Amino acid sequence: MTLWNRLHSWMRATLHRPRMESEMDSELRFHIEAYAEDLVGTGVPRQEAMRRARLEFGGIDRAKEECREARGANIMETLLQDLRYGARMLRKNPGFTAVAGLTLALGIGANTAIFSLVNGILLRPLPFATPQNLVSITGNYPKGAFVAMREEMQSFDAAAYFEGHEFNLTGRGEPLRLSGVLVSAEFFSVLGVCPELGHPFYPGDDKAGHDNYVVLSHALWQQRFASDPSIIGRSIELEGVSRQVVGVMPAEFRFPSPKTQVWIPLHSDSRDTIDHWASDFMTVIGRLRRGSTINQARTEIRMFQSRVFKLFPWPMPAAWNADISVVELHHGMVADVRRRLFLLLGAVGLILLIACVNVANLALSRSATREKEIAVRAAMGAERGRVIRQLLTESVLLAFFGGLLGILFATKGLQLLKATLPADTPRLADAHIDWRVLVFTGGLAILTGFLFGLAPALHSSRAALAESLNSAGRGAGVSISQRLRSGLAIAEVAFAVLLVIAAGLLTRSFLALSHVDPGFRAERLLTARVTPNQEFCSDPSRCISFYRELLDRMRAVPGINSAALINTLPLGGRLAKRSLEIEIEPTSPGAIMPLFWMDVVTPDYLSLMSIPVLAGRGFTSADDSGNPPVAIVTASTARRYWPGRSAVGSRVRLDRDTEWRTVVGIISDVRAYDLQKYVPDWINGTIYVPYTPKATLEGGRVPSDMTIVVQSSLEESQAQDVLRRTIASLNPEVPASEVRPMRAVVYESVSTPASTTVLFVAFAALALALGLIGIYGVLSFLVSRRTREIGIRLALGAQRRDVLWLVMKEGAKFSLIGIALGLTSALAITRILASDLYGIRPADPFTFIATAVLMSAVTLLACYIPTRRAMRVDPLNALRHE
Amino acid sequence: MEKQIDLLQGTLDMLILKAVSLGPLHGYGVLLRIQQISKDRLEIQQGSLYPALYRLEHQGWVASEWGESENKRKAKYYRLTSAGKRRFQSEAETWNRMTDVIAGILGTKPEEA
Repeated sequence: MTLWNRLHSWMRATLHRPRMESEMDSELRFHIEAYAEDLVGTGVPRQEAMRRARLEFGGIDRAKEECREARGANIMETLLQDLRYGARMLRKNPGFTAVAGLTLALGIGANTAIFSLVNGILLRPLPFATPQNLVSITGNYPKGAFVAMREEMQSFDAAAYFEGHEFNLTGRGEPLRLSGVLVSAEFFSVLGVCPELGHPFYPGDDKAGHDNYVVLSHALWQQRFASDPSIIGRSIELEGVSRQVVGVMPAEFRFPSPKTQVWIPLHSDSRDTIDHWASDFMTVIGRLRRGSTINQARTEIRMFQSRVFKLFPWPMPAAWNADISVVELHHGMVADVRRRLFLLLGAVGLILLIACVNVANLALSRSATREKEIAVRAAMGAERGRVIRQLLTESVLLAFFGGLLGILFATKGLQLLKATLPADTPRLADAHIDWRVLVFTGGLAILTGFLFGLAPALHSSRAALAESLNSAGRGAGVSISQRLRSGLAIAEVAFAVLLVIAAGLLTRSFLALSHVDPGFRAERLLTARVTPNQEFCSDPSRCISFYRELLDRMRAVPGINSAALINTLPLGGRLAKRSLEIEIEPTSPGAIMPLFWMDVVTPDYLSLMSIPVLAGRGFTSADDSGNPPVAIVTASTARRYWPGRSAVGSRVRLDRDTEWRTVVGIISDVRAYDLQKYVPDWINGTIYVPYTPKATLEGGRVPSDMTIVVQSSLEESQAQDVLRRTIASLNPEVPASEVRPMRAVVYESVSTPASTTVLFVAFAALALALGLIGIYGVLSFLVSRRTREIGIRLALGAQRRDVLWLVMKEGAKFSLIGIALGLTSALAITRILASDLYGIRPADPFTFIATAVLMSAVTLLACYIPTRRAMRVDPLNALRHE
Repeated sequence: MEKQIDLLQGTLDMLILKAVSLGPLHGYGVLLRIQQISKDRLEIQQGSLYPALYRLEHQGWVASEWGESENKRKAKYYRLTSAGKRRFQSEAETWNRMTDVIAGILGTKPEEA
């Protein structure tokens, strides 16, 4: 109750300031007049009575001031006063203000930039209707299983999508390869989004025969159709099939990925067993129905999973989707980035701590020179709390300016971050500086102000009055300050060591990764996907002769040395799986065949990529006829399935084939999937087959999306031109996409570790620079404080190198302690990086030793200038100092 | 008349609470009431009276409202709130105990020590 009372009276005093003032006036006037009246009553003349009444009352203004104080009416005023005073002090010390402000701006800016990522990716709700009800199922299901699930689920409405399909857009201008998503009819309604033009898919729009529809992305509509609203209802040619445009999505709809250009109904046809049950394992999302919980959805999906095996036309491995569950859609989308974002947040947090320590140190040095000013204020009657408040206001003010500048840095930094992070980072486009980020930065600035302001403020306000007023006084206060400052410098070194080690580990790991031999040579190779319509390739010989003609024409161009085709380019981000049977290890009926990665290639591919043949032979043009069918396996596959004997001469048979293929050669393994592994764990082996009509994929078709690899002595842009022109002259409806050098393919496959490494190296550099400034600051303060002592020592016969030792000893002391602390804590902390490291352990001795050496060198450098200044002290001047 | 004594630190609040406990008073009335009860033996700085009143009001122990004085003028009247009443009782009790103890100490005779 009294708390309310106080707040109420404070509000009244602050908000109704003029009324309170006038009331106070009339109350005091009443008092004086009433007293004078009484005096008049005792016979004092009126004028004399008034005079005496005023006199006895005492200082009216002081009384008023105390009244205001009692009401808390002055809090605002004091704050304004402190702010004005603080601003004046900051203006008076432009050097300090600039260095401290810049340091803080860097710290706050880095944090703001990373936080806007965290905010955009992790915190902001998904831009869908009631996003908290959206869920995602952790496993993938083929169309047939999804259709069953959609009918059976009670707790949620299910929708499914499959990424990774591509469609040729033809008929107008240059053919274009579009990245599309197959979606079930309820995809848009489950997400709760509407097209900006037209309508979404309606139930039943995904049934075979009634599904010739397409929804366009805003960007595609803009670029290809000049934002023409009359596109709705018209038909466009996709993969040679005419589809009616029913809608255009708004620009901010980027689901499931920012790359998506078209949404296409999933075409469910239960008569097509392979398509229905074997291809396109789809991601399932759902919207919880009213009153249902995510736990009910989990129970339901587990029950479904136990029934689903019976629906399949063939046996499925028992482990398939064994740990099926339901998670929030948002959670599922960002699960992979979450950890990386928290790592970055941790790193910039350390930078902010270093910045705070730095500024605290600067403020401490300055508070030493301000001791007198503060002592004078204390002597004039300022309470300790008042002095602390004033100093804190000053540091918060400084942090506030740092924060403003930091937001500027963050805007720039966020652009750099977005450019550095892999483009497929989910929701990257959602990251920008919004009000949440500004609130975060504001809070951070205030917190920072307190963090670096508190120690100096407490310390300064404690400074003994008499001692400070007396200029000779350099007593206990100074040594406390010195200890505090050394502690701060040690902390700074330790934090910097942590970041440098993290950056060092990531760099070493990245170097190891870039020195990995991928199993092929990427130099001077140009690659491009050449993709006729699937329909065109329904006649395999037409398809294959198109590609052969392309190769022939390319080889005929002067400067082109060699050209070959492959269906899945190594590190290209695609894979082709194929079940097959091995003759010496026949699969019993009903059992599951080994799942292989199948590369379909033309004869020159192996030599073009410099993939060595270890046994037997490579493919020749004689194999192009497909008779007899042949295959090549990789060394690891040969070891696995033909241990202790030669694979060459043995036979394999692709699933649903009748003919056996003879293995004619063994080649060395290629890092096909990513640089860290050769192929995913669930792939049992790798087989290469020549590109003939018999080289069928799982769906029974020959691959129609081959990548051409060209080796040439031409300039890259020239080679690209030649390639595009050759394709166009051969068939103007066939697009060339992903035209890029093989080196770029390799580089893009490591873009995630590359970006983490680059960011950590930048953070470590920042930490080092800030640490350097910090140590330099502490030492030069030390030297300036001890100039007189040094002078006396020199006068008494000390040598210059004694002085050198005197200063260096101090510097060495805290840098060594800081390095030791940093190394020990790094031992514990770097373990969280383990999964980001390739080829080295988190406790990599080389990195730790190198960091120690680097930090010692940096701290030595920081000691150098102050030490030199100390050595140049002129004893005569020094004794006169102050 | 006895010589006036200065007020002990912190006792003014208690005296004000006592004064207004007998009925609402304006500031000048509080001064007169205290002087009257103390038979003019206490010296009260008039200037310090108002900050004390404001502080007590801020803490919710007294409440104020504008009214009319004996001679028909607008004046601000203070009255004790129930929280103020409790506060006054506990302060008075503490004070009484303390004066007892101090009186006991001061009254100690040499032979008893």
